[in-house]
Amino acid sequence: MKERILQTLRELRTYALGKGVEVVLFYHEEDSYLMRFANSAISLNTNEHLIRLEIVAYSDRKRASYEMITDLSKLDEMKQGVDIAAEMVQHAQPLMYQPTIPQFTETFSDESGYDATLAQISNEERLGYFNQAVKGLETSDIKLSGIFSNGANTLAQITTRSEHTQYFKTSDAQVTVVLAHGTLKWEVIAEQSAQKKSELDPSALHRDLAFLLDHYQHDTPQQIPLGKYDIVFGPAATADVLHFMNWIGFGGGMMKRGYSFLTEEQIGKKVFSDKFDLTDDPTRLETFPARQDFTGIPRKPFPIFQKGVFQGFTWFQDDADEFGAKPTGHTVMHKSLVLACGDQEVNTLEELVAMPRDKDILYIPFLHYTNIVNPSKGVITGSSRFGALLLKKGGSVVVPYNVRLTQSLLDIFGDKIAWLSKSATPYNISASYGARNPSAIIVPTFVRVNDLEISHSNASY
Amino acid sequence: MLGQLKQHIERIKGKGATYLDARWYPFEEANFLTMWNGNLKNTSASRESGLGIRVLYKGAWGFSASSDLSDVAGLFDKAFDNARVAAERVTFPVRLAEKDAIQAKFESPCRINPFEVSLSEKVAFLKEMDEKLDQPGVFQRVSDLSFMRKQIVFVDSEGSEIEKLITEVFPTLQVLGRDSEGGAHERKYRPGRIGETRGWESIDRQLFSQHAERIVKELNQVLVADTCPKEDRSVIILPGLMYLQTHETIGHALELDRILGYELAFAGGSFVTLDDFGKLRYGSPKLTARADATLLNSPGSFGYDDDGVPAQNNVLIDKGILVGAITGRQMVEEANAKARRQVFDGSGGANRATAFYRVPIERMTNINIDPGEDGSLDDIIKTTEKGMIVDGDHSWSIGSNREQFHFGAEIGWLVDDGQVTKVVKNPTHKGDTVKFWNSLSAVGDKSTWEVKFVDNCGKGQPNQIMQLGHGIPVCRFDNVRIGE
Ligand SMILES: [Zn+2]
Repeated sequence: MKERILQTLRELRTYALGKGVEVVLFYHEEDSYLMRFANSAISLNTNEHLIRLEIVAYSDRKRASYEMITDLSKLDEMKQGVDIAAEMVQHAQPLMYQPTIPQFTETFSDESGYDATLAQISNEERLGYFNQAVKGLETSDIKLSGIFSNGANTLAQITTRSEHTQYFKTSDAQVTVVLAHGTLKWEVIAEQSAQKKSELDPSALHRDLAFLLDHYQHDTPQQIPLGKYDIVFGPAATADVLHFMNWIGFGGGMMKRGYSFLTEEQIGKKVFSDKFDLTDDPTRLETFPARQDFTGIPRKPFPIFQKGVFQGFTWFQDDADEFGAKPTGHTVMHKSLVLACGDQEVNTLEELVAMPRDKDILYIPFLHYTNIVNPSKGVITGSSRFGALLLKKGGSVVVPYNVRLTQSLLDIFGDKIAWLSKSATPYNISASYGARNPSAIIVPTFVRVNDLEISHSNASY
Repeated sequence: MLGQLKQHIERIKGKGATYLDARWYPFEEANFLTMWNGNLKNTSASRESGLGIRVLYKGAWGFSASSDLSDVAGLFDKAFDNARVAAERVTFPVRLAEKDAIQAKFESPCRINPFEVSLSEKVAFLKEMDEKLDQPGVFQRVSDLSFMRKQIVFVDSEGSEIEKLITEVFPTLQVLGRDSEGGAHERKYRPGRIGETRGWESIDRQLFSQHAERIVKELNQVLVADTCPKEDRSVIILPGLMYLQTHETIGHALELDRILGYELAFAGGSFVTLDDFGKLRYGSPKLTARADATLLNSPGSFGYDDDGVPAQNNVLIDKGILVGAITGRQMVEEANAKARRQVFDGSGGANRATAFYRVPIERMTNINIDPGEDGSLDDIIKTTEKGMIVDGDHSWSIGSNREQFHFGAEIGWLVDDGQVTKVVKNPTHKGDTVKFWNSLSAVGDKSTWEVKFVDNCGKGQPNQIMQLGHGIPVCRFDNVRIGE
């Protein structure tokens, strides 16, 4: 299959050269499976096999792209796509800068992130996983929701500048298991991200769900008072906040366009707590990495913050071209962010709850519907969801109604960080719209931040 | 193709499937153009075609889709197999509300097909707008055009055969500026749906030019404005934000699949229960909201939904009382059974899929608020003691059961004693959904009513992006916390 894909790209390249068109060809193939559960039933069982071909045509400073959902058997259709892109680029307007056309100097192939047994897991196995994860936990009131999404992703590239190709193949799975109370309207969650089949472990989900359910079923929920709390974030919440930082933080193009809370003057300066080390680390397979970017730059671990000191912006090729910066190997579908762990010995939710404490601690596993309130100040807002707990000073545990947090990233990861856990979790942040693009952020399983303001507290679920 | 589809529908029925439908997209094309600070950053187009098959077997759905139509039989088999496995875990077997078998065609009103307009003409429009926006105070300027056109052929096992041709045009102008402290502020223009058609002809250069001037002027006012105070005030919401307030806290909250718990793993639930229909005072008596898929010119009007049910105009909230929801064939049957009463009389015709490779789910059509009797915007301002007018969607974040929300607007104007006193920057407001809608104290008349489009509503897993509309007047809400 790989050879057929690359041969097709080579043929299209020859066709473009024959027509005198400069092109970059980008092949994306996904084999996607998704089993979705709701109300304790399988509400959807679906699969899609889609091949996308993107043709970017260049003519000096002009650029135009044409994307098609196609099939390898349709070479003529793909050639027509090349013609369309070539025609479009004639009518485009020249950019005010010279766009770089990638020129691969060697053929590159990486299938290290592909596990066929995960990509091809069967319907029965998906169902079996769910049955194990919630064994004995469903009742007439407590209903199962969630997804088991898995698949394979194949990317391949060629340009008219050289005969060399790039080829990437990965497998991925994302599991979300939610148990929800049908009438009381609360939900608890457990999730898993996997790059290979051996990473799937329904028993870990069962353990967390059983623990949370015990509290949610038996404790009386409370509306907690507004004010400042010491908050422990779970992996989903931490990954979500980092995801937003990736958006409005250290991308060079966004900074230049005024959408970032970081400035060029801050490079080399302390921005966050000295406990905060953030790296783009493509050596971590759990992040579904690209070892080489789409312009052919080899990707190595790229420190973004070290001991809270900002190391520099990441640059996408087109932004680098526009703003005269040096590309940093970040012309990729997603980065491989890793937030370094700390030294707090706490691996599981049970251990967190059992930890001795001299103050109340609010545990927020998940932030729902986060959005950017003020990009230049790094202010984001979102609500708690899926199993928040108020861990009382005396050792007891209270179930809180959901709360809203509106805070600056500078506060969340500033000197208020009390500790980061020693254990890490790869948290899957894949979106399922458009071309399949598995992505995950590796975060400490728990991060404690003191003195954060709760600005809204629900009176019910 | 049609004959082949019907043949396979019969074949799979023979294996015990109780319902099947096929959605064949002979083509779906899109065209995106973005000019950013004078650079034509994006000139892209796409085209796809394919087939999606939905099978109901022993009360469970299976779905399969492919762009490769060389093995249609295999695609039907795969969908059937997916349903067969799903049938191993059924708690409430899917039933579909009655509908008529329909043979029909729908074409969205369009005079000039945007795909027949030359790229040069589109680029010229963007260039003209870019030059208009290139003014002092503007740090970033973005002019955006996106076009879509798709043909959908629907055929099902109940004898329906529907063909749709839908064309959409979505233009946006946006400017960004920085205040003296480096704070970023934006102002956008997305035109209301004026006129009766939605092709290239709906791009009115003169109108865009006027609004380009307006947003630049307003941006410059924001750049030197004081920050929005943190206090309680009445909030007067203009259509440029009112559409989103309606979308997030009425529209999504009233999707019946959310109410029944089908989105709990991702998008969330709803504070609304089946008991609430006919009883819950959702808003003040000034609030009448409807799901109107029959509006002439809106992306929320599509002729027939992807269950093959004709578009309808249904009241959701009648003078403040909750009476309806956004529904499709499956959910109304389940809701009526679970409520042990007839809450819904058949499908509301709102089940839609974003592409051939996605299944239809309940989606908003045009979720509108009827114009009221409180006059023009000026009339509403005159009767406001202490308020803030807000416009422009800057940020939005909503609780998972849609029970509370936080919105940031692009611009605010403080109102004191019936007069606009000054512009403020970073305006926000927040609230609890039901309490907020019950504080609705003024609804503007038809002169304030506009149809706004949404081109990117996300829902479902795998995720689906949908296009829809909101016809909304200016509304005023009292005692709202602002500035957080
Ligand atoms: Zn939406």
